[in-house]
Amino acid sequence: MSAASVRRGLWALAALGGGGVAATYFLAGAQRFWVNWLLWFVFGTCLALGALFLVALQHMTGARWSVPLRRAAERIGALTPWLVPVAIVALFSLPVVFSWTQPDAASLTPLVLKEHWLNRPFFIIRLAVCVTLWVVSYVVLVRGSVRQDETKDPHATVRLRRFSPVFMILLALTITDFAFDWVSSLEATWYSDIFGVYLFAGAVTTAIAAVLLAVMHLQRAGRLPGVTRDHVYNLGGLLFGFTIFWAYIAFSQYLLQWYADLPEEVFWFQQRLSGAMEYVFIVLGVGHFFVPFLALMSRDDKKSWTRLRWVAVWVIFMEFVDVFWLISPVLGPGIHLGWPELSFAAFFVPAGLLVLGRAMRLGDDMPTGDPFLQAGLDFHLP
Amino acid sequence: MLEPLFGVLALFPTADDLLKAIPEVKKRGFTKLEAYTPYPVHGIDEALDLPKSKLGVLVFLMASLGAISMFLFEWWTSTVSYPLLTAGKAYNGWPAWVPPMLEGTILVGTFTAALGMLFVFNRLPFFGNPMLRSKAIDRITREKFALVIRPGAGGLDTGGAIAALKAAGGEDIEVVQAPRYSKAGLAWWSKAIGAVGAACVVAGYGTAWVIRTFPTTRPMVEMEDQPRLDAQAADTFFASGRGMQLPPDGTVPRTFMPILAAGPGDGGKALMNPLPVTDSVLERGRTQFDIHCAVCHDRLGTGKAWLDSTYKAQPTDLQSSTVRDASDGYLYWVISRGFASMPAYAADISPDDRWAIIRYVRALQRSQDAPMRDVK
Ligand code: HEC
Repeated sequence: MSAASVRRGLWALAALGGGGVAATYFLAGAQRFWVNWLLWFVFGTCLALGALFLVALQHMTGARWSVPLRRAAERIGALTPWLVPVAIVALFSLPVVFSWTQPDAASLTPLVLKEHWLNRPFFIIRLAVCVTLWVVSYVVLVRGSVRQDETKDPHATVRLRRFSPVFMILLALTITDFAFDWVSSLEATWYSDIFGVYLFAGAVTTAIAAVLLAVMHLQRAGRLPGVTRDHVYNLGGLLFGFTIFWAYIAFSQYLLQWYADLPEEVFWFQQRLSGAMEYVFIVLGVGHFFVPFLALMSRDDKKSWTRLRWVAVWVIFMEFVDVFWLISPVLGPGIHLGWPELSFAAFFVPAGLLVLGRAMRLGDDMPTGDPFLQAGLDFHLP
Repeated sequence: MLEPLFGVLALFPTADDLLKAIPEVKKRGFTKLEAYTPYPVHGIDEALDLPKSKLGVLVFLMASLGAISMFLFEWWTSTVSYPLLTAGKAYNGWPAWVPPMLEGTILVGTFTAALGMLFVFNRLPFFGNPMLRSKAIDRITREKFALVIRPGAGGLDTGGAIAALKAAGGEDIEVVQAPRYSKAGLAWWSKAIGAVGAACVVAGYGTAWVIRTFPTTRPMVEMEDQPRLDAQAADTFFASGRGMQLPPDGTVPRTFMPILAAGPGDGGKALMNPLPVTDSVLERGRTQFDIHCAVCHDRLGTGKAWLDSTYKAQPTDLQSSTVRDASDGYLYWVISRGFASMPAYAADISPDDRWAIIRYVRALQRSQDAPMRDVK
């Protein structure tokens, strides 16, 4: 199949999905529509921010082995500007699905206490600030690096290294705020301090999986000469590590709330652990942790590209299940999975792939202006 | 006596030279090769056809065993041996066991990795690697890369080996003998055990001395030293002279329901159990009974619970005919108001749960005294 016909197929699928998305609003109700919209908004944000995190992490640590792979992460980061329209549309979900905007909210004591934080003007300002910071960071980190392909200016590397720690601080603050605002505050009486880290852990895991797929794809196509199994092996190691990190954070959050057993905290888990949702929870625990954990444990596993490819696809799917588990219970008990969900997937997946496919032509395939590129290509496992 | 041959050794200046030499030596028919290098060299395993180390598998098995044994340990101590309630939750509170399981996994895993590497795969306590007596060993640990041709089943053609190593670019060729070492004897073992014992004594006394000589420093005191009222402690803040305050007269809990009895004297006999006999009521009764009553009355209600020896009063046998014949309303009264040395539970158990407990107690009684028709 030629690339053009794949692209045409994706357009067709997206158009079909788009029809389903519109139909959802009119046939399945506004609530269902907005919950699905938020799902993809959160998922896309996680993927984009995770990719930017990997780029900044590499600059900050001065890692050399990953220099040839950095462009792949940068290209996935190119999802960031596309978050702007999705975020703006998402604002219309405020009066529909957020518990603190409902008329009875004023009667709940915890919400009265949170009023200075959860009010519409401030909420919108926060979103605007976050998205602006992300787009600016994207321009500095990714566009700056792409420009270096032409200028070959080593000072650009120094500038990026200086900017990266700043970005890390901004990311820590904005992703926490994003998690609190767009996921936690759906059930506004719920508290969990660790929740930002939870979303972050999933975001980075997904981004690593996406970079793995992109790198293997480009390498097979002969576009990354010099990138060897050793580079890919290292990415597999990172994926393994962050899988454990996610599980650690997820379980910590659960354990503390289980122990304390406070009504304003456990109700959130009760919604997500009762009825059919419990199966989703089990799938999530097994699929987001045990499967990749066992599948990537041994050294040989991380050398097999077939296995890495499957695990990466699986991890990305599991991150989606995670976001589903977080957000979908807002609709009430039971699993809300039907044609609206399929339509949203049929719209956002091909749309995302089209954006990413275009992004794969951003700059050279490797950061050819980076003075450490050769050092990165020379990398061998010790 | 002639010492047996260990092998023929040659030195190479760089790791790359060593890696290039290996196939050449192999080509001449020498396949039993060993390499000694100052640091781990990438690709040497493949070049020497070394099998993959089994250490990973061993660590995985032992680490899993660590997790499982921790799970069993926690389960036995807190569910079987001394049923323990974690903050009012039912038995088998497994989430609380996961942190110890994680620690068990890591502890056993790392110990297996280190000790397994030393004792299983590197055969400690065997100190006599013949390489240690070669002239080259000093330089191998610093700067040179050594390749050794070991004798195969049919011995070793020393001259051929020397020629092969020379052709592959080896320098400082040396024939290494393998001296016979005696096994560690009684003297060695007593010295080793004595040394460990002496080290323990020194470390123990040393620690005791340090602790006694230097005052203990607390790294973080903020939380400990804050001004606060402690539960059950005297305090001068309030006029009453204690930290905990009594609620104002007439305070009742949010969901408080007074016991609706005909009069103070009738002991609740006239009350009826409002709950139906259903699975969910019995199940609720079971958890509540296990949480609140079983410590004293035992999970079967026999009154012989695990508090027995420490708790001075003898809890009533709930299987006895007095309790069996008592009305539900009377049991409700006992739970709510307490009875002689049994405390009142009105503050801890909601009215519905009290009724559910009574349904469950009835089921327990039936279970120990089933009429013939139940068996058939
Ligand atoms: C702290 C230990 C303790 C706990 C907990 C406890 N009991 Fe008792 N219970 C006793 C003792 C001791 C007696 C016997 C008092 C006496 O005769 O002096 C007793 C007596 C009774 C009696 C017999 C009253 C009578 O008329 O002889 C009943 C019925 C009873 N308990 C039910 C319960 C139920 C139901 C619970 C759970 C809500 C419970 N108990 C919890 C210690 C306890």
